[in-house]
Amino acid sequence: MTGEIRKMVMEARDRAAEAGMDASIEVHHENSHLMRIGNSSVSLNTSEELTRFDIEVIKGRRRGTHTLLGEVDSADELFRIMQEVAEKAECSGEMDYAPVLPVISRTLDQSSQYDPELEKLDPSVKEAVYSEIIRSCGEEYDYSGAWSSGSVETFVVTTAGRNSSRTLLTDQQFTCVLKHPKRKWELAHWQTGWKAGAVTAGNTVENFSSFLPVYERNEGFRVEPGRYKVVFGSQALGELTGMAVWTGCHGRAWEMKTAWTSSKKPGDKVFHESITVLDDPSSENVFSSPMSDSGLPTETIPMISGGKLSSLMYDRNTASKYGKEPTASAGCLSMLPGEGPADLSEALKDHDMVLYIPAIHYMNLPNMSRGIFTGSSRFSAVLMKNGRVVSPIFSSRVTDSFERVFGNVLGLSSETVSVNTSNTYGRRSPSALSVPSWILVDDVKITDCADSF
Amino acid sequence: MSLLERVGKEIVGGIRMVTGQGASYADARWYSDDSCQQFMILDGNLEANDTTVESGIGVRVLYGGAWGFAATSRISDIGSCFSRAMANAVSASKLVKVRLDMGSRPGITGEYSSPFEIDPIEVDLSEKVDFLRSVDSSITEDWIARRLIRVQLQRLVIHFWNSEGTETSRTLVNAFAHLTAMAPDIDGQMQRRSKTLHCRPDGTRGWEMLTDPELWSGHGERVRKELQQVVGAPELEFGRRSVILLPGQGHLQVHETIGHPLELDRILGYELSYAGGSFVDLDSFGTLQYGSPRLNVSAYGSIRNSPGTFGFDDEGTPERDYMLIENGLLVNCLTSRAMISEANQRAGRQVFTESGGASRSTAFYRAPIDRMTNVNILPGNDGSLDDIIASTEDGIIVDNPTSWSIGSNREHFHFGCEIAWEVKKGQVTRVLRNPSYQGHTLEFYNSLSAVGDRSTWTVEQVENCGKGEPNQVMELGHGVPVVRFDDVITGERR
Repeated sequence: MTGEIRKMVMEARDRAAEAGMDASIEVHHENSHLMRIGNSSVSLNTSEELTRFDIEVIKGRRRGTHTLLGEVDSADELFRIMQEVAEKAECSGEMDYAPVLPVISRTLDQSSQYDPELEKLDPSVKEAVYSEIIRSCGEEYDYSGAWSSGSVETFVVTTAGRNSSRTLLTDQQFTCVLKHPKRKWELAHWQTGWKAGAVTAGNTVENFSSFLPVYERNEGFRVEPGRYKVVFGSQALGELTGMAVWTGCHGRAWEMKTAWTSSKKPGDKVFHESITVLDDPSSENVFSSPMSDSGLPTETIPMISGGKLSSLMYDRNTASKYGKEPTASAGCLSMLPGEGPADLSEALKDHDMVLYIPAIHYMNLPNMSRGIFTGSSRFSAVLMKNGRVVSPIFSSRVTDSFERVFGNVLGLSSETVSVNTSNTYGRRSPSALSVPSWILVDDVKITDCADSF
Repeated sequence: MSLLERVGKEIVGGIRMVTGQGASYADARWYSDDSCQQFMILDGNLEANDTTVESGIGVRVLYGGAWGFAATSRISDIGSCFSRAMANAVSASKLVKVRLDMGSRPGITGEYSSPFEIDPIEVDLSEKVDFLRSVDSSITEDWIARRLIRVQLQRLVIHFWNSEGTETSRTLVNAFAHLTAMAPDIDGQMQRRSKTLHCRPDGTRGWEMLTDPELWSGHGERVRKELQQVVGAPELEFGRRSVILLPGQGHLQVHETIGHPLELDRILGYELSYAGGSFVDLDSFGTLQYGSPRLNVSAYGSIRNSPGTFGFDDEGTPERDYMLIENGLLVNCLTSRAMISEANQRAGRQVFTESGGASRSTAFYRAPIDRMTNVNILPGNDGSLDDIIASTEDGIIVDNPTSWSIGSNREHFHFGCEIAWEVKKGQVTRVLRNPSYQGHTLEFYNSLSAVGDRSTWTVEQVENCGKGEPNQVMELGHGVPVVRFDDVITGERR
C-alpha cells in the first residue's frame, strides 16, 4: 500500500470528523500468488494485486457499511462514498443497542511477521519444490496441491481518535497430495509460515516416505462403526480446536443460547484437565493481530484453562448489546502442549490398536447445542498397533461431541506446530492455530466407513 | 469512444500481444459492475446493511499447455495485467505432464440478461428495509427466541473477449433470501425452522421474487407453526427406514452427491488438495448405474429463472441443456473446454464431445473452473407428495438442512435436517426433532423408490457453493421433485 493511499484515507477521515460523522475506514491491500498443481503439472499460476476500502458509518443506533474494490483516487471521492454510507445508515432503523466504532487506544504499526522475500517469491521456486517432491517420491503417482503466498497490509482509522493501526505481514500455505492412480489412496502434507524458506521439499518427502511402504504393501482396513481409541494429528486437532472454541467461547453465541457452552458459565469444567487453550497473539505459530475488533491492543487471554471454561470473546457490538466490556481478543488460538513424546510411534507403543486420523474432511455440526460434530478421515489415515503403522484405513466418519473428545484425552504431544486455517474466499486473510502435533483420545465414535479411500 | 470501446480495444490489443508471444489461447473478463447488497435482521436489529462494489479485469493465458492468470482492479493497468498473466503461464509451463488444450471454436458474439422486472439493487433502500422488517414481523412471537432475516442481492455486468474473436456481454441479476425462527426445545437445545427463497422456473428474478408471498415472504406463519411442533417433539430414534426428501432438503442432496461428483475437474483430480475428488472415473460414463431407473438428471435444464442460468459461461460457451443421468445410467458430466480435451486424451477415446458451458468464475480476480449450472432431478411418475406418503410403510419426511458433511470423493454423506414427519403405514403420524440420515452415494440413489410429479418440483437456489484455490463462491440452482429412498440409516447411533 502506498503512502499516498494512507494519506488519502487520513484526509477523508479528517473531513468526516469535521462533518461530525462517526465513521471508520479500513484499507485492505493484498499481493497474492498461487500455484496450483493437478496431475503432476502446474494447472494454474495466478497473481492478484487488490485494494479494498471498508467503510462503516454509525448514526446513533443506526449503521451502514460499504466495501469498494476498484479505483479510488482522491480523498474527495472517498469522502463522497462515506456520505453515501451515512445516508444508508439513516435508512437503517434504530437497533436496540448502540453500535460502536473501534477506538484505537494507541497508534499501532506492526510488521514483525513480514518478509519481502516471501512477498515476491518467484513462481519458479514453487515449481522447483513440487518437481523435487515428484522426482523423490516417484513419478508413478499423481500429485496435486496448491501453494499460496503473499502479503496483506491493513490500515485502520476512525473518527473516534487520531490513532491508526497498520499491519503488514506475509504468509504462505502449502499443500501437496500424492495419490495412487489405480488404488486411489491419498497422502497429504501441509506446510506454513511467514518467511521464505519455511517450505521445503524435504519436509514433504520425509512425510510421504514414512507412509508409502505401508500403503503400497497393504489393502485398506474397513473400520466397523463403534468406539475406538483415536489419535488425531495436528490438522484435525487444529480444526477441532477452532470449531470448539468459535462455537463455544464466542460471547454472541453464548448470550444467544446457541453455543454448546450456553448452559455453562466461566469456571465450569468442559474438557479434560490437560486441555488449555489461549488466545495468544504472541505465539510464533500464529499470524499475529495487534489490534482487537474494538481497537484495543491484543493480549493473551485464556479461553479454556485446565479443562475449565475460562472466558468468552466479546466483540465491540456484542459487548454493547449485552452490557459487557469488549475483550482484547486477537483470535489467535493456541492449545498448550502436553508431556507426550513428539514421536508418535514412541507415544503409542503401549496401545494395541489406535486409529490415526491426521485430518478431518468436511466437518460440520449436526447439533450445535450439544457441540456434536461430524466429519470423515481422508489423507494418510492408518491403523496403528503398539506404535507401528499396520495398514491404511478406508474413509471413516467420526460423529461425536467436543466435550467427549476433549474430555477423554489420554495424551498430548509436547511438540507444538502451526496449522494454517486461512481461506482465500474474497480477500486474503491469514489465520493459523498453534496446537500439539497429536492428541490421543479414548472412546471416539466412528459412525460409518466407506469401502474405499 | 465509450469506456467499453476503450477497454475492449486495450483488451483485444493485449490478447494479440500474448498470442503473438506464443500463447495458444487467451481470454479476458471485464466486470464493469459487480454490486452486491447484503441485509441481516437479527432479532429485529438490522445488523448488516452492507454494499460491496467491485470492478476490474481478469486475464487468462494458455501457454505451453499451462494456464497463467492475473487480475487488476485498475483499468489503467490492462497492459501489465496481460504481461503478468503471460509470465505466469510461461512459468507454469515448466512443469507440465498433461498439456491443457482448449481445442478450437469459431468466435461468436452475444448478449444475455437475466429476466427481471425490478432491478433489486435499484430499489429504494428504505423500501427494502421496511419490507424486510415486515417479513421479520411474520415470525415474531414471544416464545420465539431468535429471528433471522438474511438477504443478498446481486447485479453483475460482465464483458468477455477471447483470442478466437468471441465477444459477449452479460447482465446477471440474483436475489437470495432466508427467514429463520429459533426456539429452545424441551431439552433446552436450540431448534430452528426456515424458508429459503425459491424460483418460478419460467418467472423473473428481480426484487419481485422477494415480494411474491408464495416464493418466500408469505411463509412466516407456516415456519412458526412447524417450529412450535419441533420444540415439543420427541427425537428421531436411530434405525433404518425410508426417507422422503422435500425439495428444501433434496436440492442439497443433489448438489453434494450428484453435482459435485460430476464436475469433470474433480473427476480428473484437479481439486484433490482442497474440495476433493470423485468416486466417478472416465470409465463410469455409459456404464455406471448411478441410481435406480427412476433417476433422471439434467444439466441447465432450460430453466429461465435460476442463478445457474447465465447465457454464456466464462469461456464464452453458450449454456446447453443435456442429460447427466438417464434412467439411472451415468451418461455425462459438468464440463469446460480444457477438461474435455484432457479427459478424451486420458481415456484414449471420445468420452465427451462438447463443453457443457460450465466454466465459471466468482469474480474478475478469480480464474474460471468447472462449476454446476442447474443440476436437476426431472419430475417422475409417482404422483404427488400425498401419493408418495400413502405408499410409504415406515419412513420420515425431512426438510431443510442444518448440517452437511460429505466424504472427500463424495462416496458417502451425513445430513442433519430441521424437521422430520414420521410416516407409518401411509400416514403422517407425528413430528420428530434432530433428524439426520447418512448413506453411501451409489447405494442410496439405487434405493430411489419414488419420484414425485411436476406438482412437487421446485427450483431451489444455492448462493454459497465453495470450491477452488484461490477459493470461489458460486451461485446456482437445482430443480428437484419430492423423492423417496428406502432402507436408509437415520438418526444417530448411541
